[in-house]
Amino acid sequence: MTLLYTGQGFWDPIAWLFGTAFASILVYWIWSKGRGDYKKGTEQVKPFLCGNPEPGKSEIHVRASNIYWGFVEALKGYYEPLIGMHTGELSDYVGWFIGGLALLTFVILVV
Amino acid sequence: MIFLKLILTVFLSAWVMFIGLLYKGIDRKIAARLQARFGPPIIQPFYDVIKLLQKENIVPENAVPWIFNGAPWLALLASISLFFYQPMGSLPPILGDRGDIILILYVFTVAAIAIVAGGFASGSPFATVGAQREMVLLMSYEFPLATAIIALAWYYSKTFSDLPAFSLYTYVLKPIWSHVGPLGFLGMLLIMLTILVVAPAELGKIPFDIAEAETEIAEGVMVEYSGKNYALFYIADGVKTLAMTALVVNMFFPWNLSSFFGLSGVGAYLLDFIFFWVKVLALLLISVTLVRVAFARLKVDQIARFYWFPLLLTSMVGLLLVVCDKLV
Repeated sequence: MTLLYTGQGFWDPIAWLFGTAFASILVYWIWSKGRGDYKKGTEQVKPFLCGNPEPGKSEIHVRASNIYWGFVEALKGYYEPLIGMHTGELSDYVGWFIGGLALLTFVILVV
Repeated sequence: MIFLKLILTVFLSAWVMFIGLLYKGIDRKIAARLQARFGPPIIQPFYDVIKLLQKENIVPENAVPWIFNGAPWLALLASISLFFYQPMGSLPPILGDRGDIILILYVFTVAAIAIVAGGFASGSPFATVGAQREMVLLMSYEFPLATAIIALAWYYSKTFSDLPAFSLYTYVLKPIWSHVGPLGFLGMLLIMLTILVVAPAELGKIPFDIAEAETEIAEGVMVEYSGKNYALFYIADGVKTLAMTALVVNMFFPWNLSSFFGLSGVGAYLLDFIFFWVKVLALLLISVTLVRVAFARLKVDQIARFYWFPLLLTSMVGLLLVVCDKLV
């Protein structure tokens, strides 16, 4: 087996894969006891929307800003200044890059 | 030897699925009693699985079938595999020398990601919103949880340099409470509190059940699942709940009864095994059942704020106290 050792941590991906493969025998047995059929092409396969008609795909498309909404809302004190820094001007980004590089150089050389 | 261990995984899988459903039934019964209801019979989860297996296994027309069908498998197998690395009483873990506590945390994440993938692959607005909420939940509790685990592992690495600090079996062999000073004791209480508060979120239980939120988004990530696919998710929920509770028992309550009664051999293993599952049940009732009965569901942003500020601060203070205990 292939044990990966990181100094303190360790794990064997092959053992995990073999273990789950053996466990999947039982899972397959349970799964195979279930029905596999359903009525294709009927109302049954429409998404459940409490009886409402399904909106167009573009209307219900979930954007990245929607995905992280709760997280960004909770940490808006951190995100708002960051978003404010994104001016879209290349010279600003180059300035941040040089500033960051100077800070890193200072830390590496002095600290 | 390793082949024998792998064969044992099949028996272990059967056991954790059985006990997962049984404890799910006890949880539902106790929760009902706490709410002045009669509640379902304790074996109701077994009836539920049998009934689900008799239902049609619908794949929605908008779904990505291979992810939609594969997600329940991944969730259940990941949940079961958490027990490959967990000691049970004085029985060492089957693959304990093949994975550490960081692996356990990652496998928990795999089970959560399987739910997210299944939700997104459903092609349903409710499921997509649920999956999005599950993602936010994951991002919220990972930081305090990682801080808590690092505190524990760091203390072990400094105290027992000859033992693997990230091995869960080390925590069972050398219970933390026997080795910390007063500051470390306080720090470990905070670390334990952090993990106990993370547990309902990791399991998607009230007050952190935003991904399913029946009254808002009609079961969210699970809304399109039915039949045998839903049965696998249902069993996975029971097994994952056990795994999280067992993890806390192994980290903070690893004591056994066999030494107290002076037993050895098979009797000792059996008594400790039974006592381990009693501890798991007790902790489950306190950290999951009581909490979900006593609290209402929080909003998405409230959860993120809660984990990133008060709870992260709690785990940081715990870490600081643990460090002070060792260095001062």
